[in-house]
Amino acid sequence: MKPNFNVQLYKNRKIVWLLSFSLCLISIIGMLICLKSPSINAPLNLGLDYTGGTQITLERSCTDSCNSLNTSDISNNIIKLKNQDKIFSSNTSPNLTRSQIQLLDNSKLISIRLPFLSAAQSQSVVAEVNKSFGPFNNENTSVEIIGPSLGKQLLKSSLISLFFAFLGIALYINFRYDRRYSFLALFALFHDVLIVCGVFSWLGYFYNVEVDSLFAVSLLTIAGYSVNNTVVVFDRIREKSLLENKLSFKYQIDKAVDATLTRTLYTSFTTILPLICILILGGSTLYWFSFSLVIGVISGFWSSIALAPSLLSITSIKDVV
Amino acid sequence: MGRKNYWFLFVILFGVLSIFTITKNPFQLGLDLRGGSQLTLEVQPTEEIAKITSNEIEGVKAVLDKRVNGLGVSDSQLQTVGKNQLLLELPGEQDPSGAAKALGKTALLEFRIQKNGTDSQLRDLQTQKRSVESILKLLDENNNSAQLRKEINTNSEINNLFEKFNIKSNQILDVDQFSLLRDEIRKEIANLFETSKLTGKYLTNAGRRQDQNTNNWEVTLSFNNEGGELFADLTKSIAGTSRLLGIVIDGISYSEASVGKQFETAGITGGAAEISGDFTADEARELEVQLRGGALPLPIEIIQIRTIGPSLGSENIRLSLFAALAGLVFVALFMIFVYKLAGFVAVLALSFYALFTLSIYALLPVTLTLPGMAGFILSIGMAVDANVLIFERLKEELRRGNTLIRSIDASFKNAFSSIIDGHLTTLISCITLFYLGTGFVKGFAATLGIGVVLSLFTALTCTKAILKFLMSYQGLRKISNFINPNQISSPSINVQ
Repeated sequence: MKPNFNVQLYKNRKIVWLLSFSLCLISIIGMLICLKSPSINAPLNLGLDYTGGTQITLERSCTDSCNSLNTSDISNNIIKLKNQDKIFSSNTSPNLTRSQIQLLDNSKLISIRLPFLSAAQSQSVVAEVNKSFGPFNNENTSVEIIGPSLGKQLLKSSLISLFFAFLGIALYINFRYDRRYSFLALFALFHDVLIVCGVFSWLGYFYNVEVDSLFAVSLLTIAGYSVNNTVVVFDRIREKSLLENKLSFKYQIDKAVDATLTRTLYTSFTTILPLICILILGGSTLYWFSFSLVIGVISGFWSSIALAPSLLSITSIKDVV
Repeated sequence: MGRKNYWFLFVILFGVLSIFTITKNPFQLGLDLRGGSQLTLEVQPTEEIAKITSNEIEGVKAVLDKRVNGLGVSDSQLQTVGKNQLLLELPGEQDPSGAAKALGKTALLEFRIQKNGTDSQLRDLQTQKRSVESILKLLDENNNSAQLRKEINTNSEINNLFEKFNIKSNQILDVDQFSLLRDEIRKEIANLFETSKLTGKYLTNAGRRQDQNTNNWEVTLSFNNEGGELFADLTKSIAGTSRLLGIVIDGISYSEASVGKQFETAGITGGAAEISGDFTADEARELEVQLRGGALPLPIEIIQIRTIGPSLGSENIRLSLFAALAGLVFVALFMIFVYKLAGFVAVLALSFYALFTLSIYALLPVTLTLPGMAGFILSIGMAVDANVLIFERLKEELRRGNTLIRSIDASFKNAFSSIIDGHLTTLISCITLFYLGTGFVKGFAATLGIGVVLSLFTALTCTKAILKFLMSYQGLRKISNFINPNQISSPSINVQ
């Protein structure tokens, strides 16, 4: 028989573990640094969706290029509203000095981040900025106001739904394979999710990249993708262990990984292709979403083809059916 | 044509039906793609009702539904989220503050009778109110600040009011501010009145009309029988006296009316009344909407507002869609390059898959949002994966020296368990997310879930049907259409 397996996973298992372990460690360190950082104060740099607050985006009506604006001028004008506008004069009124102003898309967009405002209060901020820094394309103004309790709730519901989704997957694999497989599939999944979170914690720390609901969606997708990949490899390991039970388990695993390597490589490649296109050609809306998916797919490829099978090979028991 | 070709006909038929469905039913675009406002309202518990049950939520929803319909925004949607929240979507609405105002009020309508001995106090307050209203009218007509200043400076009434409510006269003065001032006065007026049994509970309808003489808008009310009797009793008791009838909504007096001596014997019968409170057309409409909807059984608080401009980001999204499509073209080329004829079959099957999915979106209908589209693009990825799994198996079988037809059958059989496992695990997470997730996540779960089910279907049927159909042509039935012949191992060692 043609020795069509070049993968020597068992032999190189320690390198695989060391690499995954280091990546996870770097991720955890990144999350800890974010947690300790007073400006972030969470493992990830949480966006408006999760912290609550007001985000106003104004589109300037300038034709080719927009001249730059001084963001502190805008922020000063907003602070002045406190004395000018009656709806900001009560004691419970939000603190307008805590504003964050950014110019996006070559100064075409002005993004203003404020604490939680009422609808009328946000209208006054829009009116004020309009008056002093206009003209704007008013029909393209977007205002997002998210109450602090809703933000917490969204975070909670994201985490709860993640947990139950994982649990459901674990139970299914447990039913179709056995406990070891189910544990390792989940292990690979956590590995992937952790690495993506780690990358975003570092991005959040250095480049102020925030995570929003779309990020949660990408994590869920990565989780599904990761398990799917792992299961395909596991399925082949089980098949090999039934067909070629003369070989020792660790070589069956090598053989199974070898047989699925091309498929996993192709699938990951075809998944990444559209994502890369979005990264290069697409606009800013889906940029970080695609980015996290690319990281997740790469990590998912690694964990399903190298990490999970190599961990399976140290479980010496061969009673897998 | 053998039996298998019926499958192929079915696939073609489904494809045609899908194209028909897609062209007939427009896609529903989410607010993030077409612009509009989205409000999340939270129902607040009160002292009497500390725990909010689904009954209470339904009660609030019914009232809000009527009010939303009254606002006249087409395609508006109101749905319950979680235990105590309602999500309201107003497509195309760019200024949610008006809607928020009309929705958030309790609209508790009361008829009150003036307390004895409050005549002079009431007269003072009414004069103050008229002063404020005259300023409001000036503000409304033209924003000439010089004239306004003059009016304000010479009006001692207003200056007294400024002092009373601690307003500095050098501040910028606007409509909102004076409206607030007017409401403060109206509240004080309402306090000079005592409550009666007649409330909005007896209201059967509310309407509005414009007074022919003054051009002011009035809100008309009609009562049920019981309410009509109460109204008659009430008006009878004060007819011909100096006591006034106050119409109070949410603790603010909208009008104070005297009842003529002619009603002394029977009161005002017929079960109809009107509120003439110097309303503008908008105010009258807002009030009508609130009254017709009835009072909210529980107060609500607006905890989230999203307003998205109709084309903000849509350019961005168009770019991303274009990019994703370009990516898919690369994927198609890649598949054909790697799997040759089978790759071509996969591209055909994937096109059918995309058609089926889009037609289901149009039929159900699924509201397409940004995460939803992400779900769609990713489900295409899964569909590609199923095909890759099958064709890898096919290659393996062919390399072992099996015949083409046997290899095709074996490849589907062997790949089946992987495909099922992969799809089911994803489906499990979709179902969990759909039930537990909110908004964003739900839309994603729905589109991905539909995609997963259809991908399972097309991978196992369409790909097979198309492949079998092509294999019925002798000319295509060559192993070299699938792999390089030199990769085939000699049959003698294929004894597994």
